[in-house]
Amino acid sequence: MTVGRSLRQIAIVIRKEIKDSLRDRRALWSIVFSVSIGPVIIGFMMNRVADRQRETEQVRVPVVGMQYAPALVEWLRQQSGVIVVEGPQDPEEAVRNQEEELTIIIPKNFVEKFNQSRPALLQIVADSSRNDARPTVERVRRLLQQYGAEIGSLRLIARGVSPAAARPIDLEDIEVSTAQQRAAQILTFIPMFIIMAGFVGGMGIATDSTAGERERGSLEPLLVNPAPRLVFVGGKWLAAAVIAMASTALTTVLCAILPRFLPLEEMGIRFRIGPEHMTGIIAAALPMCLFSAALQSAVATLARSFKEAQSYMGVLVLLPMIPGVMGALYPIGNAPWMYATPVLGPYVLLTNVLGGQTPSINAFLTSAGISLVAAAILVRITSTLFESEKIIFAR
Amino acid sequence: MIRVEQLRKKFGTVTAVSGVSFTAENGAITGLLGPNGAGKTTTLRMLYAVMRPDSGSIRVDDVDAIADPHEAQGRLGVLPDGFGLYPRLTAREHLEYFGELHGISGGQLRQRTKELLDLLDMNAIADRRTAGFSHGERTKVALARALVHSPQNVLLDEPTNGLDVMSTRAVRTIVRRLKEEGRCVLFSSHVMQEVSALCDAIVVIAHGRVVARGTPDDLRKHTGHDNLEDAFVALASVEHGAHE
Repeated sequence: MTVGRSLRQIAIVIRKEIKDSLRDRRALWSIVFSVSIGPVIIGFMMNRVADRQRETEQVRVPVVGMQYAPALVEWLRQQSGVIVVEGPQDPEEAVRNQEEELTIIIPKNFVEKFNQSRPALLQIVADSSRNDARPTVERVRRLLQQYGAEIGSLRLIARGVSPAAARPIDLEDIEVSTAQQRAAQILTFIPMFIIMAGFVGGMGIATDSTAGERERGSLEPLLVNPAPRLVFVGGKWLAAAVIAMASTALTTVLCAILPRFLPLEEMGIRFRIGPEHMTGIIAAALPMCLFSAALQSAVATLARSFKEAQSYMGVLVLLPMIPGVMGALYPIGNAPWMYATPVLGPYVLLTNVLGGQTPSINAFLTSAGISLVAAAILVRITSTLFESEKIIFAR
Repeated sequence: MIRVEQLRKKFGTVTAVSGVSFTAENGAITGLLGPNGAGKTTTLRMLYAVMRPDSGSIRVDDVDAIADPHEAQGRLGVLPDGFGLYPRLTAREHLEYFGELHGISGGQLRQRTKELLDLLDMNAIADRRTAGFSHGERTKVALARALVHSPQNVLLDEPTNGLDVMSTRAVRTIVRRLKEEGRCVLFSSHVMQEVSALCDAIVVIAHGRVVARGTPDDLRKHTGHDNLEDAFVALASVEHGAHE
C-alpha cells in the first residue's frame, strides 16, 4: 500500500462526497440560505440605524405655547434640520401614546421671568423608556441649552462681564478610534457570521458521510475496498472542509458586496472589504474550516444515529457564537493565547483585519497551526473510531 | 481460493463463531448454509476484513487476510448482508466509484462497467439515480459494483434474500458464470433448495460451528435423510458439540 495510492484514493473519496452532496439540492439551498442570512441581517440592521440617524437630523419639534416665547421659537426655526410645529392638546398623552417623540411646553409666565432675568421654565415631555426617541430628545435638549447659553452670554456682556468667566471649564471629546475601527464595532457580527458559515457549510457532508453512510448501510461495502480507514476518514473530512471553505467564501463575498448598498458614508463610517482584506480573511478563516470539519466528522461518527448526529451539529454551530456574542458585549483584546485557541483565534484575526489592522504573520501562523494540529488529532480519533466494530456496525 | 481455519469471534460473552474451518475452491460454488444467527454473516465479515477474528487464520489466494487485509480485499468481490447504496448517485457511478477505489480507471474502467451493465441487463437503469430502485435493481447494482474489479474470489451474503424470481435467476446466472470463469464463489444462504441447486460444496453452520460439509449427496448420506431439507433440519438442530 503506497502513499501515492492512498492519496489517489483520498482524492476519489473527496470527489465522490462532494458530487454526492452537491446533488442534495435541499441541503445545498439550506446552506446558501444559512450563510446569506447573516450579511442580510447586518444590512437590515445598518439600514435601520441609518434611518434613525436621518430622522434625528430632521427633527420635528412640537411646541405648546409658542405665543409665550416667539424669540425662542424663531431661533429654533433658524436651526438647520429643525421643524417647529404646533404642539398637541394633551402633550403627556401624545408622548405616552407615541404619537410624538417629545413636546416642549412653554408656560405662560415665560416672558415675564425671562424679562426679569430670572430662570424661565421650559418643560420637555419625553418618555425615557423609548430608546428610539432618545437621540431626538438629546438633540432638542442640547439645542435649548445652547439657546440658554447664548442668552446668558449676551446678558453678561450687557453687564460688562466676560462670558468666559461664567464658563470655568470647556469640554471637548477626542475620538481615538479610527473610522474603520468604529465600523468594525458596529459590524462586529461579520467575523462571527464568516466563522459560522464554515460550521454550517461542513455539517451536511460531515453527518451524511459518517452517521448517514452507516445508517444507509453503505459503510460496510465501502470499507471492503482495499484502503486504510484513514483514507476514507481523510477523504470525508476534506470533502466537508472544501464545502465549508466555499460557504465561508460565499459569506465573505456577500459581506464585501453588502456595504455598497448601505448608507455608510452618510453615517460617517468608512467600511469596505477590499482585496487587501481578502488575503487576511482567507488566511484567518480557511484553516478554521479544516478544524470545524474534523470536529463535526468526529462528533457525527460518535453519534448513534443520523438524527442524533444532526442534533449534535446544531449544538456545534453555537460554538462560533460564543466569541461573537462576547465580542459584541466586551471589546475583545488580542492576547497571544487567543490566537492559540481554535475558533477564537480566527475570530480575533478577522476582527482585526476588518478593523483595518494587520495582525502579525506569527498570529496568523499560530492560529492556522493550532487549527491544523487540532484537526489532525480529531481525524486520527475518527479514523480510530472507524476501526471499531462497535462504531461500524452500530445500526 | 479461500481457506479458513479455526476461526473464532466473540461479542462480549456471546460466542458468534467458534472454530469454523473450511476451504472454498477455485472454479466451484461453495455454499455456507445455516439458520439465521448461525454465524454466517460474522464469518463472512471476518473474511472480507471488516471484523477481526479473535483467533484462527484466513487465506485468500495465499494472502494472509489478517496480516494483510487490504491485499486480501483487493482479491475479493463482496456483496454484504443488508448492503446500502448512495441514493443520489447513478448505478454507473456506483460501479465507477468502487472501480476507482480498486485502482481501475479510464478506458479499462469504462469497458468493465459496460460489460457488467450488459451482463446484468442494467442498461436501462444505468444512468438513473438509485433513489427509487426496486430491491432487485438495487441488488444488481450492489452485485455489479462488487465485481467491477474482476475479483478472483466472490463473497455473497444471502444475495437472493427477498428477490423475485427474475432477479433470483439473474443472480444465479452470474454465480454460474463466475464459476465457469474459474473463480471461487462463496455464498451464504438459509434456503436449502437454493444451495442444493447451485453449490458444488456445502458447509453447514449451526451455533457458530461447522456441523457438516460435503456435496449435497454426501450430506444426504451423512444424515441418513434422503430429503435434503430433512438433512438440513437434522444438522442445524444438533446440540452444541454433540456432532463432529
